[in-house]
Amino acid sequence: MSVTTLLEGWSDWRHEHPINDQPHNPYKWAMSIDLDACTGCNACSVACYAENNLPVVGKEKYAHGQVMHWLRIERYWDEDGREFPDQGARFLPMMCQQCEAAPCETVCPVGATNHTPDGLNSQIYNRCIGSRYCSANCPFKVRYFNWYDYPTTDNVWPAEMNQQLNPDVTVRGKGVMEKCTFCVQRLREAESNAKSQGRVVRDGEVQTACQQVCLPGAITFGNLVDPESKVHKKWQAQQVELAKDVQAKDKEEGGSKLRGYRILEELRPYPSVMYLERVRDSAI
Amino acid sequence: MMDSGFDRRDFLKVLGWGGTTAALGGCGFTSMEDGKETVVSYVEAKDYMIPSISVYYNSTCTQCDMGCSISGRVREGRVLKLEGNPESAINRGKLCGLGQAGVQHHYNPDRVREPLLRTGSKSGETITWEKAYGLIAEKLNGVSGEEIAFLTGGMSGHLKVLMGNYLDSFGCKNHFVYEAIAPAVVRAANKKSYGVEMPRISINKAKVVLSFGADFLGSWVSPVHFSQQYAQFRKGVNGQRGVLIQVESKMTLTGANADRWLAVRPGTEGILALGIINALGTATGDVAAAVKGYDKVRVSKDTGVSAEQIDKIAALLKARTPSLVLVGSAAEGYAHGSQNAAAINLLNQVLGNVGKTVEAAASVPFPQMAPALGNTAALQGLNKGLAEGKFKVLFNYAANPVFTAPAAMKFKDNMAKAGFKVVFAHYLDETALQADLVLPLDSGLEDWGSHVPEYMAEGAQINIQQPLMEKIHANTRGMGDILLSLVKQRRSEDYKKYADYYAYLRDALLKNKDAFGGKGIDDDVFWDDTLSKGIVKLAGSTGALSAKASAAGLTLPAPAAIDAQFPLQLIPSVNHSLRDGRNTNQPWLQESPDPLTTIVWDSWVEIHPKKAAELGIAEGDIVEITSKNGSIKVQAYLFPGIHPDVISVPLGRGHEAMGRYAKDYGVNPFLILDAIFDKETGELAMHETRVKVSKTGQKVIVVKDEGPAGGRQMGKKIAPRLPTDKVDFSKEV
Amino acid sequence: MKDIREDIAWAKINKDVLHSLENPRKMFWVMLVVAIAMVGVGVGCEAYQYITGMGVANMDNPHVWGLYIASFIFWIGMSHSGTLLSAILHLMHADWRKPIYRFAEAMTTFSLMTAGLFVFVHLGRAWQVYYAIPYPNERGIWPNFQSPLLWDAMAIFTYLSSSILFLYVGMIPDLAICRDNMNPGWRKKLYTALALGWEGTDRQWRNFRVTYLTIACFLIPLAVSVHSIVASDFAMSQQPGWHITSFPPYFVAGALYSGCAAIITLFIILRYVFRFEEYMTLPILKKIVRLTFAISMVWTYLNMIEMASVWYGHDPVAKDTLLERMYGPYAPFWWSMIFCGSIVPLIMAFKRFQTNIPVMFVVSLLLNLGMWLERWMIVSPTFAHGYYPWTWDHDQWPSFVQWGIVFGSFGWFTLLFMGFCKLFPSVSMYEVKEMVYHRSLATKAAAGKLEAAGKGAH
Repeated sequence: MSVTTLLEGWSDWRHEHPINDQPHNPYKWAMSIDLDACTGCNACSVACYAENNLPVVGKEKYAHGQVMHWLRIERYWDEDGREFPDQGARFLPMMCQQCEAAPCETVCPVGATNHTPDGLNSQIYNRCIGSRYCSANCPFKVRYFNWYDYPTTDNVWPAEMNQQLNPDVTVRGKGVMEKCTFCVQRLREAESNAKSQGRVVRDGEVQTACQQVCLPGAITFGNLVDPESKVHKKWQAQQVELAKDVQAKDKEEGGSKLRGYRILEELRPYPSVMYLERVRDSAI
Repeated sequence: MMDSGFDRRDFLKVLGWGGTTAALGGCGFTSMEDGKETVVSYVEAKDYMIPSISVYYNSTCTQCDMGCSISGRVREGRVLKLEGNPESAINRGKLCGLGQAGVQHHYNPDRVREPLLRTGSKSGETITWEKAYGLIAEKLNGVSGEEIAFLTGGMSGHLKVLMGNYLDSFGCKNHFVYEAIAPAVVRAANKKSYGVEMPRISINKAKVVLSFGADFLGSWVSPVHFSQQYAQFRKGVNGQRGVLIQVESKMTLTGANADRWLAVRPGTEGILALGIINALGTATGDVAAAVKGYDKVRVSKDTGVSAEQIDKIAALLKARTPSLVLVGSAAEGYAHGSQNAAAINLLNQVLGNVGKTVEAAASVPFPQMAPALGNTAALQGLNKGLAEGKFKVLFNYAANPVFTAPAAMKFKDNMAKAGFKVVFAHYLDETALQADLVLPLDSGLEDWGSHVPEYMAEGAQINIQQPLMEKIHANTRGMGDILLSLVKQRRSEDYKKYADYYAYLRDALLKNKDAFGGKGIDDDVFWDDTLSKGIVKLAGSTGALSAKASAAGLTLPAPAAIDAQFPLQLIPSVNHSLRDGRNTNQPWLQESPDPLTTIVWDSWVEIHPKKAAELGIAEGDIVEITSKNGSIKVQAYLFPGIHPDVISVPLGRGHEAMGRYAKDYGVNPFLILDAIFDKETGELAMHETRVKVSKTGQKVIVVKDEGPAGGRQMGKKIAPRLPTDKVDFSKEV
Repeated sequence: MKDIREDIAWAKINKDVLHSLENPRKMFWVMLVVAIAMVGVGVGCEAYQYITGMGVANMDNPHVWGLYIASFIFWIGMSHSGTLLSAILHLMHADWRKPIYRFAEAMTTFSLMTAGLFVFVHLGRAWQVYYAIPYPNERGIWPNFQSPLLWDAMAIFTYLSSSILFLYVGMIPDLAICRDNMNPGWRKKLYTALALGWEGTDRQWRNFRVTYLTIACFLIPLAVSVHSIVASDFAMSQQPGWHITSFPPYFVAGALYSGCAAIITLFIILRYVFRFEEYMTLPILKKIVRLTFAISMVWTYLNMIEMASVWYGHDPVAKDTLLERMYGPYAPFWWSMIFCGSIVPLIMAFKRFQTNIPVMFVVSLLLNLGMWLERWMIVSPTFAHGYYPWTWDHDQWPSFVQWGIVFGSFGWFTLLFMGFCKLFPSVSMYEVKEMVYHRSLATKAAAGKLEAAGKGAH
């Protein structure tokens, strides 16, 4: 508790996105989601509920907009006024984008949300006083607040159902903000095991719950700074750079022929999730 | 200086007291709840149970009938989460959302925990297992085989064998295998067209998939397997991305992922298939003669699909081979469903797909273990017998006919005519509430079993089911154990040596371990190895497929005229999680939004915006849907992915029982279905119900995940899309 | 119009003002009970919310803030009344403020206290509000100084403590008068303690003047910064409809506006209840009304600036959010705000109405209603219609819990204010005497009979 801590912590805390003198090392967790492969089946969302002790709020609270799904599947239609959606729908899994320059991190009055050295946006439950400024500032609205005390609410985790709870993940009480953590409990376990073996986590060694269950394998997750990882190769192939808000390929004449993009990039949060555009065949 | 009676000393005194009081006020408050900080540890832990270390056990998922293999994460003796088992060729390490919810089936607070005798008392009297078995023996005493009936869902493996033996012991042939939603017409049509009921299909090898209502990404046959094939399909053969065309009257999950979704007039899918064969121009012989009258003008008029579209499809199918044609709801939905399926399968034959993307599946060389597949014709048979008062004892397992039978069949009333009704149940569902005796089952994660999947993905396999933890409730029993106890009542000598079903299963598998790749391996080693893998792979036999294209006996009816009194056609849709309603009491599934409408916890009716405007219906209006057999009231939702003359209500909700998470949520469209059956197979034609819609004047706000923007991106680049001619896939990894 | 008499006796001023401290009439007790009942409603709602969770307020995702933040800003805004009158007008030597600044300062202090309540009420884990304070802790954690909410906490704390100090220090000479004129009893003891032994000596007056002036000078930038900081809660965020650089002056203007309107309301009430017609005269009312009118035009101008910058800016989302305010579910409230905030004050331009007490009473209440609506219209529509269309929510409205607590806050303020008016002189006696003295001097000088009287004891 000293002024030195304050001054040091300040600059470490607020490192927006990797710049030359302090890149992420040895981990920067990132994701790539192929929207052409995503079928909208919602298995990822259910797996997230199972892994992260998400409460089921029930019909009435859902009607009030108080649902807790950290990962939501959005469904979009074409907007050209045709009678039928004859090129199908578009599904988009949206979760916390773990932004490098997260708008939520700067505004928490008590510093309950910060950036970790491995590139995650952390949410520290026991520090949170529930001012909800982070959610107010999130452009994606992927932060979910515990509006009620779900552990003591009827029928959320009645007897026997509470035995399903994952002991690796805190069960949140009322008044606390929560969001997708890229299954940080799994990451920490893998990082710790790797460290005790004197190495770095290998690509594919750790999976997030959503990635693990995704049937068509649309979700790719891994260490962006590991040149051998799938996610690194995907980002590279799509020419999407973490620390840029306008990608070089977007300036190409006639638009880029590559599918990778990030959502609301112009707001410059530098999200760690890249999406690959859905494709529809032009031959039919 | 005047004495005001207050000086510096007094001032400091006041300050001091005030400050102390303020400081003392903040003590005694911690951020953790008092009294709730206890660390519980086992006094005597089992030696395999190391606190904080997870152990994974492999088993088989029982949430649907496809038999994906699961790997359950178990910690401190509790199963926490299910993952897919990489060993199985069916799901290859993946598991769908429905499978994830298996833990909620297992830990459900509304599970039946004790045998319940319900005769005479509505709430049921708890009795012991001994008394229950005694009661069954008593009721079966002096009853002949024809007077006993068994209604079950699909069964396979050793449970089926044991069940067969039990029925044999009475000389009873009344085993009715019933599945409310089953690809039964497809099976029969496949048998006719290819010679096998469920061929192995390879979506990943096809360049074009043309699906007539087969929701293979959602709920048709083996979606977990097909979704993985689909991913490869999209990556493409030789870098050319696969094209998916979906033809149906109401958009399914698969339809939402199609490159081209065609809203076809309900029931005319077969006509379209013949139209495409005509447009291909490659058919010969009797096939060419059969399709001669199906020129694109006529077909376009009949089906609503434009002539250019038909030409495009034909051109694509010709240019890109192999392709794959699938039939789903086009078969199950209609009284002429078998004919539809025959026409569509014919298209596969004409395109030469048989032997390429449609191949023979391996089968397990133990026919007695092969799956007994369910259909609704079986229910009709049972219903007829019940109505005649034929059955003195009725057993019900893994089926909920009181919920899923159309009201027109009057199944509930007929069931009451049975003398003594025994229901084996996990929950008090609608059928269990009609029983005289309810026997509580172990959950799918507590039980032993073996399953032969209907759809064999690659080689032949038998799925093993083992408990992932000790029973939660002491008085539930596995179905195998119950059957064993019952068969011991009849044939005690034969089964004396088996203490329980585990022993029976182990013995049966070890007896044939040579066929299962265990030749020369020690029994115990082989058994442990099998359990740890979770499946048994074996050399199965693969039959040959008939590739002969023949239009013999193919007659398609003209498109049905619109009934003036019931102008709309009701399609009860199958949601990939809720299916026939067996899993509705799992809250994750209730809260998981329907992928297409994003509605939760309730039913809805999908109406095309054009039709809704005609009828003056807005979103949230409560409308009454009336068929000849009843009516339901449900909230309206405007949905563009549906034919304007069709409305759709999802199946699976509308339970009147089955626990706190299922009861009274939504409406049950099963009840108002017209009792119309496929002419050839006798299957319930699910899409043939004609209805009328009227407003009730009530209105609600629809509870759904999407907001007032609906599916619009408001000009933002959130979910953009590229056409294939503007994408460069070559650089992708 | 009747203004304060130049020959009014000091003793009469004392007597009139001290008369307001006498035992209250029945109406006072009735109003007090009503105020306590209102507070009771608020406390009940808050207890329910505290125990059950914030969900009972009907907030949801994305609508995570509601009337608590809106009312918080409203009460902070109201607090600018005292600062404006006491400090700013003091530096401008506006004599007419002298009879009315005391209750205005009291209003400031109590507004801040009410606003502080909303901070507590708004938090999901209110029992841990102290995490926002940089106290020594074993984890070595500081609060996050980049967060505008934390600046709020610090600024309001500073402002509140400074306002209490300012109010108290400014009251010392009056407390001495009270002490000297009271019969023995608990009141006399109280005033004796609080008056800190004030004798009215030259030296004391000199020290007093310097202190008062220092605090006044300190308080003015503090007040501007406090409300600018509150405005940065919004301006520093990225959300459409909030990320506007003109927010700090806009908020300060709005604060001054609602403060002045509240002064008019309380002026009229106190004038009637305590029969302060001699001191809270109509010319003073006229001046404050004109000041309010001027500020209302400034506010209107800044409002138009905000809309213009959105309209001509390059952010289509912000424009969309603005249009949504005008045509969407909040339209009736938004247009009411425009009406109350920009149209109603036009009445104040007319001399005929500037001293018409019933009209001005209603007008001042409407102006404050408009200002409360303005705060709500800043907070809610942006949540309902933000950057991400999937998360729009046009159906969310505050529940009875939120309304109950807002309702209770008015009761709380009323309670505090009524208590103050009965315990402490709500008109500054010594400053009124100064005002009368200066006027008589001015008259004598005008009449040419002035001999430099210098600065003597008052």
